[in-house]
Amino acid sequence: MPITIRAPNLPTPHDALARAASPSDSEMSDDDLPSGTSGTSIVTPGETITSDPQWMRGHGTYIPPSTTTIVSTVAGHLHKTNKLLSVQALRARYTPEIGDLVVGRIVSVGTKKWSVDIAAPMLASLPLSAINLPGGILRRRTAVDELNIRTFFSEGDLLVAEVQSLHQDNTASLHTRSLKYGKLRNGMFTSLSGAGGGVLSRRGGVVRSKRQTFTLNTAAGEIDVVLGVNGYIFISAHATSPSNAAATAEDKDISITRLDEAVSETLYSSQNDEITPGVLREITRVSTLIKGLAAAGRRVDEDVIVRVYEGAVELEAEEKSLGITDKGVGAVGVVQAVLERLELGG
Amino acid sequence: MAPSQPAHVNLSPAELSFLRSSLSQTPPIRLDNTKGPRDFRSMIAEYDVLPSTNGSARIALEDGTEALVGVKAEVEKSQWRPNVEGRHTLSVAVGVDVDMADDDGQEGEENKGKGQNGWIEISVEIPGFREDDALPVFLASMLTESLLASGELKDRLYINQRFHWKLGIDVLLLSPPLSYPLALLSMTTHLALLTAHLPALKSEKDEDPLFDDDWDAAVPLYPKHDAQGGTNVDKPPIIVLAIAVGSNIIFDPCKEELAVADAVLAVGCAPSNASSTGARIVSIRTIDPPAHLTPPAVPNSMNSATGGVAPASTADALTQRELLSATGVWTPPRGGMKRSLISQVTSMVVGKGGVAEEVIAALQAIEVG
Repeated sequence: MPITIRAPNLPTPHDALARAASPSDSEMSDDDLPSGTSGTSIVTPGETITSDPQWMRGHGTYIPPSTTTIVSTVAGHLHKTNKLLSVQALRARYTPEIGDLVVGRIVSVGTKKWSVDIAAPMLASLPLSAINLPGGILRRRTAVDELNIRTFFSEGDLLVAEVQSLHQDNTASLHTRSLKYGKLRNGMFTSLSGAGGGVLSRRGGVVRSKRQTFTLNTAAGEIDVVLGVNGYIFISAHATSPSNAAATAEDKDISITRLDEAVSETLYSSQNDEITPGVLREITRVSTLIKGLAAAGRRVDEDVIVRVYEGAVELEAEEKSLGITDKGVGAVGVVQAVLERLELGG
Repeated sequence: MAPSQPAHVNLSPAELSFLRSSLSQTPPIRLDNTKGPRDFRSMIAEYDVLPSTNGSARIALEDGTEALVGVKAEVEKSQWRPNVEGRHTLSVAVGVDVDMADDDGQEGEENKGKGQNGWIEISVEIPGFREDDALPVFLASMLTESLLASGELKDRLYINQRFHWKLGIDVLLLSPPLSYPLALLSMTTHLALLTAHLPALKSEKDEDPLFDDDWDAAVPLYPKHDAQGGTNVDKPPIIVLAIAVGSNIIFDPCKEELAVADAVLAVGCAPSNASSTGARIVSIRTIDPPAHLTPPAVPNSMNSATGGVAPASTADALTQRELLSATGVWTPPRGGMKRSLISQVTSMVVGKGGVAEEVIAALQAIEVG
């Protein structure tokens, strides 16, 4: 059956809803909040939350002039903290913060900088002075570098970078001055929308965590996963070029003076290495699972990805041995099946 | 060749090369690895969503693309057409009631060939596009073309000599066109037409039309059974999108898969009325693959940032590119579509147990179940 059509169904109630109706505000159950006890606490922009003056307005709310009515300005879940009402948006754009690891895509090339899409409300900028030059040479950027700006990054290229500073209008300035950062290749890009990059997990997506990049061991080989805080994700084959192998061997004594040797020749290459079909398959599998996790409303971090990936591989092996060839359940279907098994098992 | 979407491909050469190599494996590795080459993306469908239309449907794909279609029918005065009406005026003048006898004899055939193409109007609205932009205009004409191809629908809109139904089909894409939306719009239109009803006619012959105000008595636009009670009836057409990557044929491509396609083919088909198996082609179009417009990757040997030497002239660059043997360098596909490939795609679509048959059956199942 190549086509699966499902009937629409209501979204399943989520933890956020339970949080909204936490027992701490049960003593105020006589108030006129529309969502005080009902299970669906989603408010829409312009919807009146309350006209009772005892409440204070928080994020995502607004009091029109000369009234005491609190209305919502975003679509999201209502949260109550004592007397403070705030609405947490269902989907939000990423708000950059200094030190965030982000995956971005070059939108335009200027004379001395690139404009990078990092899913923030405004494009971030990457100055020419904030990148590593090939060979790791440390010098001033000259007019020649400005002329050759497209040999480093050109439109459409993907890169992993760190937010270096924020300007007054909340636009971010990025840098790639580390061996961990730079151009991305040998892999696949996936974007998850709506997480907003907050510390609290909203409805799935990437959150700031200890490790944003990790290596996944698969049967076919190692896979690198870069989880950008902005919800952009890059999954690639693990780099095993000779220059990199040398770099890892001398990992201990990479210093600023030896940077030129450690920075590989292929830093700004836009050509893929030979990737075996097995690795290709595993990369797409991980990407599908990550999309499924986000669609199922789960947070995406290293621990979850590793567990779900192992579960999915196990599930497929079992189905194969039982002779079930149930193709086409979709990403969410697989993720839900795996999560069910994981919850049953432990 | 139909225009491709103006929103050009914004993928890096390394990504394009990666996608291309995974899609040209045997069997192809799709972006959603739970799907095979013939699988459609899973979708959510419902019908009768708009209260004041004759028929409506909504289909949402997993990636967030969503289409809404409403079918509205209005009674309209027909324009006097000498070539059709002439025969009647003449017969009345002579006083011989020839056409009455004809009509009594063949009730089902009475409006055959009397429909006009102008009675069906499709408008496509896509956010971010003007209504006279190439994409919506092409999508609308492709949908109209396949809908008019069988000729049975427009004949069913004939009421009598002076009146007919005017069918307005409003197709609305609720999200930006992430992938080429033709297949989605056609499936949604199919479902809306399949579930559309027209009020039952109470008046007879050339009287001013009078309709039954009971909506339960309304007749479906596409009847469930033919005059003999069989189930072999006309159904709305459906358009299937297929891409070719190397020797692989992939159906219902997502945006990224479309971006690396060698060729894109849109095949419009309707269930065959001759036999109960397979489908027949009502229209076929090639769509300009967006990959043609992508710039080629710069190989390491020609990139001064990776230790290569930048070519001195454009002629030099072209020669070097042609002699390039390295894999993993994105080169945009060149040329068109091979004949054998087209015939392979069409046979996969319309053959017995083909893609078209399964899609139509799946959409039919929504209405029944």
